[in-house]
Amino acid sequence: MEGRLANAWRLTVNDKNFIKTALLSEIRIDGRKPFEYRKISIKFGREDGSSEVQLGQTRVISIVTAQLVQPYRDRPKEGMLSIFTEFSPMADPSFEPGRPGELAVELGRIIDRGLRESRAVDTESLCILAGKFVWAVRIDIHILDNGGNLVDAANIAALASLLTFRRPECSLGGEDGQEVIVHPPEIREPLPLMVHHLPIAITFGFFNNESILLIDPTHNEEAVMNGRMTTTVNANGDICAIQKGGGEGVPQRVIMQCLQLATSKAASITKQIKDAVEAFNTERALRKIKRHPTSTGVDVREKQNQ
Amino acid sequence: MENKQSSSPASFIDSTVVPGDVVLDLSSMTNQTIKLGGGLRQDCDAISAMKAGTLRFLKPNKYWIESSQKRYVPCVEDTVLGIVVDSKADNFLIDIKGPTLAFLPVLAFEGGTRRNIPKFELGTLLYLRVVKANFGMNPELSCTDASGKAAEFGPLKDGYMFETSTGLSRKLLGSPTCPVLEALGKKLSFEIAVGLNGRVWVNAASPDTIVVAANAIMNSESLSTAQQIIMVEHLLKNIQ
Repeated sequence: MEGRLANAWRLTVNDKNFIKTALLSEIRIDGRKPFEYRKISIKFGREDGSSEVQLGQTRVISIVTAQLVQPYRDRPKEGMLSIFTEFSPMADPSFEPGRPGELAVELGRIIDRGLRESRAVDTESLCILAGKFVWAVRIDIHILDNGGNLVDAANIAALASLLTFRRPECSLGGEDGQEVIVHPPEIREPLPLMVHHLPIAITFGFFNNESILLIDPTHNEEAVMNGRMTTTVNANGDICAIQKGGGEGVPQRVIMQCLQLATSKAASITKQIKDAVEAFNTERALRKIKRHPTSTGVDVREKQNQ
Repeated sequence: MENKQSSSPASFIDSTVVPGDVVLDLSSMTNQTIKLGGGLRQDCDAISAMKAGTLRFLKPNKYWIESSQKRYVPCVEDTVLGIVVDSKADNFLIDIKGPTLAFLPVLAFEGGTRRNIPKFELGTLLYLRVVKANFGMNPELSCTDASGKAAEFGPLKDGYMFETSTGLSRKLLGSPTCPVLEALGKKLSFEIAVGLNGRVWVNAASPDTIVVAANAIMNSESLSTAQQIIMVEHLLKNIQ
């Protein structure tokens, strides 16, 4: 037991008091204002549908994959969307490998609710053959470094990877039109998912004192704060989800203030995501143009098979 | 492969060595007493490096390896900042960022007797001295200096503590004064306690002074002297 104690991260009594005292003068320990976000950087991997997001010191990776499965009996014309989270032990000394803990499950649920309830991803377009074959899209979120506010970073990573994911094009064939042929990416260009809007999660931290409210808490602030609320809004001002998990009670006007703040932040974050995705798409297109001289060899082989 | 076992020690001083390098050959140096600091090990006649870092030499006879890591390896006579984790009958258990927790005997205070054992709540920050640090055993600490006086050791009140690498805390304690501390000291007044285990505590009258000082020190690790001064000026301009 002593070994585990030695590795844990601790906050001193001095730090707890200082963070609260400084917040009374609207100063945060990393120099930000109470309603300021940390710097967000969105990067993409070589493959479609993989993204890495850095929010200050927090780092999250998200990978999107898809598989053809049989749909649920009661929803034969809809595809599926599922989110899996993995809290790597290298992110934080308190993360244990194995089964996802409470925090991991809550994070997965918040992101899942934001995407599913608001119908951000069009699941009907994922249906290939009603009742037989639909695409099941799976988002895997890996936390690499916990610098605070994992939910927001994971949400941005999930959205960025969904926007850059491409699923193979398929067509119906066979004798009775009941077989699905999945075309490899070299033959037919893979298709992007239909994403109607981007629900952005914004997390707020509450303290004992009603006048202290902050956005995007860091690791230290999370250990000190008394309550948290995550609101998922999109740039159009629609509220997609709200999650307040226990902690300090807050009056209604504070919640309304948070929602208004969240809408303004969501607009700027949406723009950042869209700019990053567009830059990635441009680079991807340029890469494909360079591939053309080599792809003639592939074409010839396929013609022989057909 | 080059055989780096040159017999003259001067070739390794102030240069980077890796574990396994033989940095000194004792057969060529007779009738001398050499003091080995951290990171060096004696194998019969050869002194070899155990840590990766720079070999340093101080006249007349001290050799040691300097490296900067986030982990701390306890060394005797180091001054460190520890956090109280638990209190037992004979010792307080203190976290000093080492591989194991350290023990602080309840009597290791100036004028400490069984009657006036101090009560520290969990999470108290203490400025301590390492008394014993052997491999495999929990290190032992003390709140007094070698002669038994309190000498600034003990609990630190208020302020803000942050973590750095061990190399940065050594630079902050070195002489001449680190440029970032000098530049900050010209404009701000603050109190600072540096632990060689990579923890720094800052206290000042107003919260924004503390925040500026903490961020300036955290950012200064990889910057040169001129860059540090520019960075401090930039931060100070933002608060004034």
